[in-house]
Amino acid sequence: MFDITPQLFALQLMTGIALGAIYALLAIGLSLIFGMLTVVNFAHGAFFMVGAFLGVYSMALTGSFWFSLLLVPLATGAIGLLCERFLVRPLYGRGIDYPLLLTFGLSYVLIDVMRFTFGIEGLPSSTPPELRGSVFLGFGYFPLYRLFLIAATAVIVLGLWLFIEKTRYGLIIRAGSRDAEIVKVLGIDIAKVWLLVFGIGTAIAGLSGLLAAPTRAVNPEMGIPLLAESFVVTVVGGMGSLPGAVVAGLLVGVVFAMTSLVAPEYGELSIFVLMAVVLLIRPQGFFGKAGLMS
Amino acid sequence: MKKFLVSALVFARGHRVATALLFLLIFPFLMPYDALSVNILIFGLYAVGFNLLFGYTGMLSFGHAAFLGVGSYLAGISVVSAGWPWWAAIGVGVASSCLAGLIIGFLAIRTRGIYFSMVTLALAQIVYYIFYKSERWTGGENGLRGVKVEAIELPGIRIDFLNPLNKYYVILVFVALALWFVSRVLNSPFGAVIEAIRENEKRAAACGYNVARAKLLVFVLSAGICGLAGALRALHLSVVPIDSLHYLQSGQAVMMCLLGGMGTFFGPFVGAAVFLLLEDVVTNLTRYWMGVVGLVFMFFVLFFPKGIWGTLLYQLDRWQNRQGKAL
Amino acid sequence: MSAVPILEVRAVSRTFGNFRALNNVSVAFRAGELTAIIGPNGAGKSTFFNVISGGVPPSSGQVLFEGRDITQIAPHDFARIGIAKSFQITNVFKQLSAHENVRVALQMQVSRFQLLRPRGAYVALMERADALLERVGLADIRHKLAGDLAHGQQRSLEVAMALACDPKLLLMDEPTAGMSPEETRVMMGLIQQLSQERTVILVEHKMKLVMGLCNRLIVLHHGELLVDGNPDEIRGNAEVRRVYLGQN
Repeated sequence: MFDITPQLFALQLMTGIALGAIYALLAIGLSLIFGMLTVVNFAHGAFFMVGAFLGVYSMALTGSFWFSLLLVPLATGAIGLLCERFLVRPLYGRGIDYPLLLTFGLSYVLIDVMRFTFGIEGLPSSTPPELRGSVFLGFGYFPLYRLFLIAATAVIVLGLWLFIEKTRYGLIIRAGSRDAEIVKVLGIDIAKVWLLVFGIGTAIAGLSGLLAAPTRAVNPEMGIPLLAESFVVTVVGGMGSLPGAVVAGLLVGVVFAMTSLVAPEYGELSIFVLMAVVLLIRPQGFFGKAGLMS
Repeated sequence: MKKFLVSALVFARGHRVATALLFLLIFPFLMPYDALSVNILIFGLYAVGFNLLFGYTGMLSFGHAAFLGVGSYLAGISVVSAGWPWWAAIGVGVASSCLAGLIIGFLAIRTRGIYFSMVTLALAQIVYYIFYKSERWTGGENGLRGVKVEAIELPGIRIDFLNPLNKYYVILVFVALALWFVSRVLNSPFGAVIEAIRENEKRAAACGYNVARAKLLVFVLSAGICGLAGALRALHLSVVPIDSLHYLQSGQAVMMCLLGGMGTFFGPFVGAAVFLLLEDVVTNLTRYWMGVVGLVFMFFVLFFPKGIWGTLLYQLDRWQNRQGKAL
Repeated sequence: MSAVPILEVRAVSRTFGNFRALNNVSVAFRAGELTAIIGPNGAGKSTFFNVISGGVPPSSGQVLFEGRDITQIAPHDFARIGIAKSFQITNVFKQLSAHENVRVALQMQVSRFQLLRPRGAYVALMERADALLERVGLADIRHKLAGDLAHGQQRSLEVAMALACDPKLLLMDEPTAGMSPEETRVMMGLIQQLSQERTVILVEHKMKLVMGLCNRLIVLHHGELLVDGNPDEIRGNAEVRRVYLGQN
């Protein structure tokens, strides 16, 4: 077991980072929705799954991966917009648990809708032809697609960061997350902001599903373990913190991969243990504000 | 007719355990088949345990399957691996789920609100993965098999446990004990403390109550009751499926509680009965049970958050208030 | 007669981010006194109150109760050691009756983790609750929900709850806030009575009220201790006048 060469180590590290990229994207969507709406989207894993399905379908239909990259987040974002407007919004005054409960029920519906549409077995997914093959990284050959994954995530995170830090809409989102009253006073319709943020969150979830599709089995249940894992990332990084989501996402991915290297089959367990440890020593997560959690 | 219903409801509220038992005694004769009654009884107990935490303390745990599952598995393992009698197995199931509740509760109570929900879900998944991997003891993916209890031997009587109706009444004894216990706790000084905490935590602390410790105690009690339900389930099914520990099983407790009425005494049983009856009916009509239950649940969250029994009680209160004003 | 001050605040500071709410404040409170913490808006009165009542820990410095360091103790331990408080924004159990509010506060003394005996068995508690309610003038509305009470009644209820743990030290944050003149008169009468039996520290911003009532006034300004003395000394103090009149 311990004949792990530095090359193998490095390759596995890269695998971890690729996995972490997906976790980071998921956690970003979750944190955005939470930070802005104080809603924990229990349907986040389901939106991921829907994105994967729509992605595979659209690739089969149009033959273009790049077109799907555009189409899928729009589709899942649109579904998210509808859900926020008609299902989540009526619950805002009621108590923080209700939107959570609703999204939990929503996840059930999304899973069966996908089963109904695409069958219970799922769809076969493969790497888009342009991104097949491996690249030599100096310490070994690494799948091109996973490199693309890491790069794509970096681009998305950068784009998101620019949007939030540099644009007017992003300013509104940042302001709103700290004080809904101020935003209202400025004459901005806070409901529209919530709608938009929920849509962006689910769009990112769907996009991450599409990006992840070539690397795993695409079936209606694929989002279920992922929901729990994205909670781990948000606890570790700090709920509501976007840098936290990115850093924790990568960390969790790497922990998973490296544990799988030395103790295969214990990957999932290791990341939950990581979460338990963080809970013990720093319950608000690495980037979270103290007092937010307890 | 209305007057009769009202007085029945008022009586029910004042004598909760007796009413529950009365109803549960005749319940199997209202249901299409006995195995369904047993299921409703067991999951009703599971929901009662969950309701103690969520309904009365306001803490939304998404990890209660851990206690159902730990109770099931440890009871099952006592029978299968250690060859212990059924009553010892139940004891082990309850004790181990209390312990699990202590550990998970200790970690989870450091957070609150929605974080608590997320954390309990994730902590319960740890339990899931641990049991999943421990194939030698738990059977892994295939679950634990061979929890065979064919007869309950009591001094003088031998009850055939394989007969579903017998099973029902044996299990009812334990459910009755649990309900009695829950009722006592709710009526006790400690019950007042958790009411106060749910009402206004800061205030309760200002009065001098150690809020964290009180919450932990409720958590452990809740876990123990769910563990009892789990142990009984293991004896009932003779197997323990690995999904008992999955967070979807936790979600089921949430759903049953909300459907029936959180924070009410009978709500969990009503919820469990409605849920399982619905499942029985729907799965015969379509394979998309998950979608149907999701829709039903969302409908209740949006329009009937008090649940069936809770709404009934609320209407009763309003009616009584209006009568009071008229006098 | 003990020489140890009942409550002592030593070099306490509290910052919130960049804002220094309290700066190196030291005060010793003697047992049996009725002291008021006063000062214009933003002087740090609320922060000071929160520090001495366990609402917020100081960023530096110590708080001592009867000589014991209580700076780090948990909020729920305050009632146990004999310090009770009433909040600035009324904080009662809204869905419980007035009687139940006080009964719950009293129950702390008797049992916390009793699981099996019914509440009704603790008759003595219920009688004591009624006695306290009578003391604050709420005996006739004992069954009303606390949330349905008038504002002044809710504040009186809070006092009853604070008295439940038989505190040596009673801390009150703006006890007459939002009260009508009649309600204020009643509350001040109650406070005067209470100050005969225990040490009372008030935070108030209505100068007139405290002048006639308290033995001692502590004036805070911009988070610092400005003047500490009896009403006559405060009245004649030019600094105080400047600070208050400057605000107008």
